[in-house]
Amino acid sequence: MAPKGTQSSLRTEKLPKSKQKTVKLGALPTSTPTRSYDPLTAFSTLPDSSNPRKSSQNISKGKGKAREDVIDLTLESESADDRLWVDIYEPITEADLAVHLRKVEDVRRWFLEAFNGGPSGKLRKYRRILVLTGPAGTAKTATVRVLGRELGFDILEWRNSIADSFASYDGELVPQVNEFYETLMAKFEAFFNRVSNCKTFLTPLDRNPASQSSAAASSSHIEQSPRMSDRRIILLEDLPNVLHSATQARLHAILHAAAVSPPSDPPVPIVIIISDAQTVGEANDERVAHGRRRNTEVDGVVDIRTVLPRDLLAGPFVTQIRFNPIAPTLLRKALQTLLNTHFASNKSAQPSKEVLDVVVETANGDIRSAIMALQFACVSNSSMRSKTRKKKDGNMTTVMLESITRREQGLVLFHLLGKVLYNKRKGDLPSSSASAKDIQKEKMQDALIKDPPKLPKWLKDHERKASRVDIDALYASTPIDSSLYSLYIHQNYTNFAVDTEHCDDISDWLSWVDSSGGEAWYQANPYQFHLLTLGTLHSLPTPVPRNNQKIVKPQFFEYLDKEKDAWEAVHNVRNWIISRTTGQDGNVWRTCGWSAPEVALELGGVLKALDSRQRADRPPRSHSCFSRMAYDNSVSSQWQQLDEAELDISDDVDNDAKFINTNAGEEVTGRWLDNDDIEEF
Amino acid sequence: MLWVDQYRPRTLDDLHYHKGLSARLKSLASSGDFPHMLFYGPSGAGKKTRISCTLRQLFGPGVEKLKIDQRVFLSPSKRKLEINLVQSNYHIEITPSEAGNYDRVVIQELLKEIAQTQQVDLNAKQKFKVVIINEADSLSRDAQAALRRTMEKYMSNLRIILCANSTSRLIAPIKSRCLLMRVAAPSEEDMMDVLQNVAKRVGFDLPPDAADKIVDDAEGNMRKAILVLEALKMQSPNLNGPLSIAKPDWETYCHKVADLIIGEQSPARIMEVRSKFYELLSHCIPPTVILKTVAERVVDKVDESLKADIMHWAAFYEVRMRNGNKKIFHLEAWVVKVMSLYKHFFYGIDMSDFD
Repeated sequence: MAPKGTQSSLRTEKLPKSKQKTVKLGALPTSTPTRSYDPLTAFSTLPDSSNPRKSSQNISKGKGKAREDVIDLTLESESADDRLWVDIYEPITEADLAVHLRKVEDVRRWFLEAFNGGPSGKLRKYRRILVLTGPAGTAKTATVRVLGRELGFDILEWRNSIADSFASYDGELVPQVNEFYETLMAKFEAFFNRVSNCKTFLTPLDRNPASQSSAAASSSHIEQSPRMSDRRIILLEDLPNVLHSATQARLHAILHAAAVSPPSDPPVPIVIIISDAQTVGEANDERVAHGRRRNTEVDGVVDIRTVLPRDLLAGPFVTQIRFNPIAPTLLRKALQTLLNTHFASNKSAQPSKEVLDVVVETANGDIRSAIMALQFACVSNSSMRSKTRKKKDGNMTTVMLESITRREQGLVLFHLLGKVLYNKRKGDLPSSSASAKDIQKEKMQDALIKDPPKLPKWLKDHERKASRVDIDALYASTPIDSSLYSLYIHQNYTNFAVDTEHCDDISDWLSWVDSSGGEAWYQANPYQFHLLTLGTLHSLPTPVPRNNQKIVKPQFFEYLDKEKDAWEAVHNVRNWIISRTTGQDGNVWRTCGWSAPEVALELGGVLKALDSRQRADRPPRSHSCFSRMAYDNSVSSQWQQLDEAELDISDDVDNDAKFINTNAGEEVTGRWLDNDDIEEF
Repeated sequence: MLWVDQYRPRTLDDLHYHKGLSARLKSLASSGDFPHMLFYGPSGAGKKTRISCTLRQLFGPGVEKLKIDQRVFLSPSKRKLEINLVQSNYHIEITPSEAGNYDRVVIQELLKEIAQTQQVDLNAKQKFKVVIINEADSLSRDAQAALRRTMEKYMSNLRIILCANSTSRLIAPIKSRCLLMRVAAPSEEDMMDVLQNVAKRVGFDLPPDAADKIVDDAEGNMRKAILVLEALKMQSPNLNGPLSIAKPDWETYCHKVADLIIGEQSPARIMEVRSKFYELLSHCIPPTVILKTVAERVVDKVDESLKADIMHWAAFYEVRMRNGNKKIFHLEAWVVKVMSLYKHFFYGIDMSDFD
């Protein structure tokens, strides 16, 4: 029986020296404990390099010592490359960034304006808070750091120190821990005031440990570039718990004060980085429609609207710049550069192009995860090669990599709707803009789709070609629930239908699916999504004519808001009637004869007549919300278009957000057209 | 005060029409064995007037001393629900549709509370209290189920009077526990009588022509007739001339929507109609009313052979609307159905496929 130890040492012999340590590391600790070892064979196969031999020798002597040496070994290799590539190859200059140049330029311009005040010098007042949003791993923080180096400002970063506080009070007084935890927000406030007001605080003298001994200082982690300067920014990435409403209110107050107060000299702009959380949007319309009350907060989601107060968002002091997922071309370039530097000494170890392809494809524009995946791929590659299984390598790695690196990500709503509404079927002619490669790909996919069985003669009009839409896959990746989904389909299907017949079928499906459940949520039809999708696909014309249809957001929520206001008006009027009846003899006589719908339907005429009289006891003005309806012949064309940057977590039509988006607006539209055309589906 | 409220009859003897019903209610109230009751009939027929007259018959004038309370209920998810309650010492009146989805909670809490407190007024004519539930047909199934148990359990000191437009939405167990009272819409002569009576009490002469016209317009809705009369009187003190009764805005709007449907049948037009429906819905017009008004108008304008089908589909989608959540889907589904029916008819295609 060949002991494991020998195997591992044999392996090391074959490998190039640089790889030795890594392999050894993996093999040794598992093989140390309790094993019979033949010193003779072990010694005979040992390589010349001293380190492995030493460790093997020690192992044969006894466990305790062996472990020491293993630790030794780890330390040594750690100094070589134990850090993650993400940290090692952090971008230093703008050229290293994989972000679109224009985006970097936007941010840089903002910083320059914040420090110098732009051409007129007055902009400084308004460049107080910069909000960087975007999915995780789109180099938001890296951009700020790179610009910090370039423009020479220091980044003062806030970090929540929950872990520290718990560690330091571990096992001691529990109430004290709680107390400490409670004051996190207070510490944040203190940090904020100090950093934004005290100019002298950050001089190098003050940054010695002694001045940081206070509890508050321990939680603020201050980073500084080696070059000292008096330009500073505050970076807030790790925010206090804004989902707690009291904390949120305090944070809002702080930010508000910071934004409105006149800028100090030099100004200290605030940069807030918010990574979008991908959550499932839900239409809570039913609840809302019945309760006539809206809960505007979507629970548990930190987005720009929870971090920043509404009025600030709408005001001039906040700029939002949205980072998009990193384009595959940029991502590939960046990864290639990284690999070139990493494997500069030995080109042969560089992973193959296929591996890079897979990594780029599966990263979904997340450069952090891409680099992680790449590092992982390189590690596993080398170990696999050592097992001399090169032949299967190509296929295996791709499959394995894909299974490991593929990020769970919902289909963007926009694409989901595109898939359904364009109703692509097997054998459809490729779109005019498709490249030869795309056509080839489509054909390949078509070959995999099975044809449905032939239908008998009397069902001929239901015969369709096999659909390219895989409903189960679609369902698995929808970002929204079926109720909201049905609203989107409802809003958009008319644009994709040619004839009223198509509409007839779809609207009937919508109606049926909506009414197929019971009153309570648990009676809801679990197949709503499938039924609706199948029904829509079946009813839409095939192929759907393309005339540049736009996908718009449902008007539904707008209507709900208006309805809510109108109901309020109805109740006001009702109360008004009641108040008029009470005046006479002190008690109310038969007032509740007025139910809300009666007021809405029948009081219009009287209210108008009362309005025209110039008397003191006029009905509340708001009654026009329900009593007046001017018929408007013009078709309202102000539908809100849906673009793919939107996941539509919050269903409310939010004008504030739109206002802020104007900064990044051109970027968004540009991408909408070229980079990811809907026709690709 | 609006005339409708001011000149509302207060006792069963004051009521102008449905004398037989009044007599029956009177004897019920004096019999000492008062059952749970369910009043139903079209709106504006006088259901609530009869209920309050009956209460007065039961408890005397003390029942007219009303106060309005706002009560706060907690939903299971700790949401606060504010409900307006009108109550006297002898009865309490609620509109559970104000509680939306949580009507079950409200009904249960409230009834339990009332049922467990005995009548404290020793001079009270009756031992029980009365709970009036308005718009009972909008009660959810859950709430109705909750009600059915309560009705039996607390029979000793609680009577329930339900008021609804139709009994079709009430579950059978509720209906069987109540004495059903149908209050039909008044006849035209009845309405004329009432209008003349109101005019006399206000102190002006109502020309019969004008009364005729108002009654014609009101379609059996007494409240609407009196409101129209008041509005007319406010606008033009002299009612002798030719009268033009303006329809409510929403009704005119519905008619225009109907014209849209007939005017063109295309996906683009469907979008247009949808926007109009949203507009109507956002003005608190109940979807059932919208469907009914538009359908009636459409039926007026189309060929005889289509009328039955259009009404059939209106009824069909109305049921779905009641079961479903998103009213607009069903309204639109009906519109599209009408459009394709109309289009098929227009192109002379055989209609026998449509059942």
